[in-house]
Order: sequence, then C-alpha cells, then structure tokens
Amino acid sequence: MVTAAPPSFLPRAGLDRLIALLRDDGRRVIGPTVVDGAVAYEEIASTADLPLGWSDEQSPGRYRLVESPGPGRERAFGYTVGPASWKRYTFPPRVDIGRGRDADGTVTYEPVAPEPDALAFLGVRGCELAALRIQDRVLRDGPVADPDYVARRRAALVIAVECTVAASTCFCTSMGTGPEIARESADLVLTELDDGYLLRSGTDDGRRLEARLDPRPATDDEVAHARASVADVRRRIGDPVAVQGLPGRLQARLDHPRWAEIAERCLGCANCTLVCPTCFCTSVTQRSDLDSRDSVAVRGWDSCFSGDFAKVAGGSFRWRRQDRYRQWLTHKFSTWVDQFGAFGCVGCGRCVTWCPVGIDVREELAVIAPPAARRPLPMAAAAAPGDFTPARVERTWPETPDTTTLLLTDVDPAIAHGAPGQFVMVTRPGLPAVPISVSRYHPEGDAIELSIRAAGPATATLSSLAPGTPLGVRGPLGRGWPLEAAEGRDVIVVSGGIGLSPLRPAIDALLEDRPRYGTVRLYHGARTPNDRPHKDDLATWAARPDVEAGETVDRAGTGWTGPVGVVTHLFDAGRWDARDAVAFVCGPERMMQATVSTLEDRGLRPERIHVSMERHMECGIGLCGHCQLGRFFVCRDGPVFSRAELGDAFILEGV
Amino acid sequence: MDVSGTIGAFHGSPFVAGLAPSERRRLAALAVRRTAEPGDVLLHEDAPTTHLGIVVDGRVALRLQVPGRGSITVLTVEPGDVFGWSALVPPYRSTSTVVAVERTEAIVFDAVALRAALDEDDGLAASLYPRVLRSVARRLEATRMQLLDVFGREVDAAW
Repeated sequence: MVTAAPPSFLPRAGLDRLIALLRDDGRRVIGPTVVDGAVAYEEIASTADLPLGWSDEQSPGRYRLVESPGPGRERAFGYTVGPASWKRYTFPPRVDIGRGRDADGTVTYEPVAPEPDALAFLGVRGCELAALRIQDRVLRDGPVADPDYVARRRAALVIAVECTVAASTCFCTSMGTGPEIARESADLVLTELDDGYLLRSGTDDGRRLEARLDPRPATDDEVAHARASVADVRRRIGDPVAVQGLPGRLQARLDHPRWAEIAERCLGCANCTLVCPTCFCTSVTQRSDLDSRDSVAVRGWDSCFSGDFAKVAGGSFRWRRQDRYRQWLTHKFSTWVDQFGAFGCVGCGRCVTWCPVGIDVREELAVIAPPAARRPLPMAAAAAPGDFTPARVERTWPETPDTTTLLLTDVDPAIAHGAPGQFVMVTRPGLPAVPISVSRYHPEGDAIELSIRAAGPATATLSSLAPGTPLGVRGPLGRGWPLEAAEGRDVIVVSGGIGLSPLRPAIDALLEDRPRYGTVRLYHGARTPNDRPHKDDLATWAARPDVEAGETVDRAGTGWTGPVGVVTHLFDAGRWDARDAVAFVCGPERMMQATVSTLEDRGLRPERIHVSMERHMECGIGLCGHCQLGRFFVCRDGPVFSRAELGDAFILEGV
Repeated sequence: MDVSGTIGAFHGSPFVAGLAPSERRRLAALAVRRTAEPGDVLLHEDAPTTHLGIVVDGRVALRLQVPGRGSITVLTVEPGDVFGWSALVPPYRSTSTVVAVERTEAIVFDAVALRAALDEDDGLAASLYPRVLRSVARRLEATRMQLLDVFGREVDAAW
C-alpha cells in the first residue's frame, strides 16, 4: 500500500498556473463563474473568471450573491453551490442518443457515438462529488451503462474543493457527503486558505498535475487551519435530517396528511428536480425530417413533477400534485435506496433554495417521517446498569390477590420527579433487578408508589417486603405518556387489569390540571371485581362530575352490579364524537389490540392512540437487546408508543 | 314512564333506528313497557324465552348457575342492547337467567307474537334479524376475548 503523500501548499497565484496547465493539456476548464447574479459552472480561461471575493446567502426560496466580508475577500471559493450542477456536463439536458432511418423498405437504427470534449471540472464540492458517484452508480454501473455518460465522465478530470463556508440550506453532514473530501474521491482536492490552497492528489492524473505545479510541502499550521475551517462548516450545519431508518419511515407514511398540505404550497414547477445534481429522469423524443424517413432520438431531462410524466392513455397515475411531490421525495429518500443502494439526495440544499415557495425537504421529512423519539437519557440517579440509589419501603398494601403496592420513601428526587408512564429498575441484594412502572409520584415527599404483581421469585419477594426495608432503585427510565399531545383535546384512558398502574400518574396529572383538557373518559376492565387494583381511586374518579368513568369485569358474582363484559363495550357504542380525542391505553397486549382497533373504528387517528408496551427490560438504556421491538428499544424509546410509530410491530407475532 | 313515554323510548332506541315507518309501527304495536326492580328476574335459564327485550334504562345481568360457585354474571346488557334473543332461535329457551341489577326500564315483545309477525312480514324479518344478529355477534366476539382470559397469569416469570 502506498502511503498518501502529505498535503502540499500552492500559493494563491498558483491557481492560474493550474488553469493554464489544464488548458495546455487540451482540456476545456469548467469552473464557477458569476452568471445572472448566481454562481454557474461555465468554461473559464483564468482565475479572473472565478467569483473572486463573492459569497452567497441562501435560505428556502432565496439566493443572493454578496461581496464576501472580512479578510477573505479575494477568496475564489467563498460560496457554496449555485443552481447549476456538473450534471449539465456529464448528463446534458439534451443529448442525441440514436438515429433511425427508413430507406428502401428497410428500417435501421444506430446509436449516436459520443465524442465528448476533454474537460476539467474545477471546484467540485463534497456534495457534488457524491452526486457524481450516485450518477456513476445509476448511469455507468447500473443494469445498462449509458455510453454517452460513460464517455463524458471518462473525459473529465475532477478537481474538488472542500467547503470552508456553509449555507443555511446545506445538509451534507446528514447525508454523509461532506464537507470533508477524501483525496481518493477526486483527482485533486483543494482546500482554500487565506493565501493559497492545500493540495491533495487522489489519482495518478492528479499526482502528475500536482507535481507540475511544483508546490511546497504544507506546514502543520496550514494543515491544521484547513481542517479547522472544514470542521467549522460541519459544526455550523449540524445534523438536520435524521437519515437512520428514513426509507422505512417514509414508506410507512404514504398516507400522511402532510402530502396534501405540501401540495397546496407546491407549484409543480419542477425547479427542484432541475437543480438537483442527481435527478436523472428523462424522456426521449423523436426529431425527424419532414418525410419522417430520418429521425434522431433526443433524450431530454424530464421531471416527475411534470403533468405528463406518469400519463397513460386513460390519464395520469399521479394526477394530483401531492402524488407527484410524494413520488419525488420518496424516491430520493426511500426507494432510491432499494434501487441503487444509496440515497438519491446528497444534501446540497439546491431544491430548498431554488423552490420558489421555499418548501424545505428537511422540514417536510421531519414532519412526515419523524425519527423515533430518542429521549436524551434524563437520569440523574444511577445512570449505569448496576448502579442503584437507595430507597426505603415505607408501607405496603394489597391491591388484588396477586398485586401489592409499595410506598417507597427517601427516593432520589430525580426519581420522585419522573414523568407519568416512566418506570424504574428496582432491586434487593440477591435479586435480579425488575422493571416496575411508577404507579404514583409524590414529588414533594421524595416518594413513589410501585404496584408489583407477584409473577416470580423476585417480584414475590419485593411484594412481601416489610416496612423499613431498604432497596435499590434506578431511574426514571423510558418515555412516558405524551400529556402535551392531549392538551386541549378529549382524552380517553383505557386500562386493563394491573395496566391501570402505569396510567395512574397520567390520570393524576390530567385531573390535577383538569381545565387543560376536554372531556376525560376513564375505562377500566378487570377479570373479576376482586382483581381491580386501586379501587379507592376508581371510586373517587367515578364520583367526579368532570370525569366520565366506566368499569367492567369479565365475570362477577351477584354482589357486583356494574357492567360485565369486555372493556371495549364501554365505549364502542357511545354516541360522542371520538375523532379528535387522544387515547392512552395500557393492559395485556391482546386487550390493547382490541381496544386500539375499536378506537380506530371510532375515528381516532393512529398517531393519537398511545399504548404502553411490556417487554423484558434490563439495562434501561437501549443497549442490552432484550426489549428490542422492531426498530425500537422499549426501555429507551418506550414503553409508551403511538400506534402509528409502532406500525406492524404492534400486531405481528414474535417481533 | 307512561304509555307515550314507552313509545317515545321505543322510537328513540338505537335498536330501531333506521327501520322503515311501517316496520316501526308494526313493532310498536307489539311493544310492551316493562319496569323491573333490582333482583327481578326477567327470564329463567333453560326455561322458554317468553320475551325479546330492549333495555331502555338501567342494567340487566345475564347469569349462569354454577354448582358450587353459585350464580355467575357472564354479561350485562346496557341501554340500547337486547336480551332474550333466544326468543327467535329454536328451541326458544333462554341461555341465561336475566336479572335486573338496577331499576330497569325495558321494552319487551311477546315471543310468540313476534315470531308470528316475522313469519308474516318478510320485510320486517329482513330488518329485524340483522339487528339481533349484530347484538349476538358483538357478544360472541366479546366472549371469545374473555375466553382468552388475558388478565390471567400466563407465565411464571423468572423474576
């Protein structure tokens, strides 16, 4: 393996020599130059043609060139990308691809042999190199190599420039395409400094060119300065698009209402596809002479936004603008991955800047296909598995024949101030730690209640602890009930059996702040009257005039005069309007499935139905793997999920 | 509740919503108001089902006698729902004992007269049977869910 040569340094004046050398070699040099108030890529003869001293300002729907401020005034590359891209040269807007002839009763077709000029691309950015690589995959390495593209690409030398500035529309960092440029990805890579350029060559052509420029070795300072400027760009851009899992998330949201909302703003102008450096959709038209005996097949850029793009004799399959926007966005960020193994987007931001109405893909993706909520782990108490804070059993009381509530005092304040629906890991020396939902918070008293069903040796031991016993607690863990999503809406809380316990703090919060919410309906189902936990609370809630409460049991003796039946019968036939409500559901999984299905039948949207999932949880920080549920870890991303985000994981067996 | 109240309750019942006026009138002619106090038995398990009833207000329990365990309520019928569907299905014997657990207002139809009306009037039969079937189906679905005994202890956990 050849060790890469250290970077060299080319003084500012050397750039003209570079351009001259390329031209001497018979290449047309294509580089950035100002055309009509924007940076375009055109043939240049010297550095005088470059946008010296210009910078740009970009935001959704806006682009302005400005004289760059500060000491870097004379920089040649002090802007990011304009509307033009290199695909104009590798994949031109119109290309003759074949000729057809009808002569003497014989029809012949022949391809057009490409004869591209030798070119040198000067100033290719990281995102743009990625776009070239994507087009290589599609047009050169795809199922059938496109002869015109292959010839043009081979004829072009690529001189890249690392970005030392960022536009507000940039998101190369998220797409993994920049701003850093590996030397292997171009013939020559430049990084602009105040008084010259750091050079790194990545190919034999690049090394020969570098040698002819006779640069001096770069100093450590220069290398460090260049790295710092590029790192600063990365820092400024941040990570605006959550790409992990994005293809699947988008496919699960093909019916999101946002598509229609976007279509109300979208003009269907196709600007986004024309400025996109990777869009390659084309249509072939025939240009023929008057007697139609000779014709040329002309391939021209097309756009999935054009009205005829998906047209058949009976009409267009994507006749609505929302269909066409969805086609474009899902191709770029989802189906392109299936097709070519990579995203079709490089994060250059052109479609954001050049959209006349400023539709921002970053924002739309976040709304349509938000990443699984990744809670920053809020634990103040005992972050590492194996680390527990002490607490003490103050008092215990039976809830049902197999369930006991423990009032723990002297708990860490971080735990006592946890959120409804969160859980803690609780342990005693000699016992495995057990995940238990907090069934009531007493923040002012540094106390919590845990309701524990004796299902095995550890839970049986915990259930029978005597007052005064010390134990260890970790937490609060996980993501709880989204009370904020319920503000201003009707709330339906449905619980089954001991599933009431994780919901109890949410009910406490709803009733404590009662005016914040619309109608509050509480429905609980249990096996028998004796198996109802938190009986006093159930009675108190039912007595409140501002709560609609209902309870049912599967079977009862003659002493029970309440409803007998399944919990869904308490609300499946109600005449009230459920469509705008938010639901919180907790109970055995089969009961939750029946409940969710009844709620959906009543018109609740899946994103407004929240369920608490039970899985084997140990580490509480999404690592140990026991509780993985599809793309989620129940301990970290849950236990509360919306029905919508769970998708098939909610109903498939064994996920 | 007077007679007009009974008729009002009958017409307001979701059970008859959507019936053609002629069918409603036909049914209303057979409808009798029945008030039951807590503990009153409306139908006896295994005895001939004398009535099909619609609960208007209150609650009735469907109970089965289990030797050694006494009388077990397996379902309650809430306002809008029916009891005594076995009045329409041979052998016309009640599958449970129907007991009012609250003061209950119901509309009841004599089983023999109702069957005769349904035999005579295909239109009425075509309207009424699906309504009864819907109630029975909802009950069957619930019963299956209860059979799963989802609140029972399913595994002996290691913890």
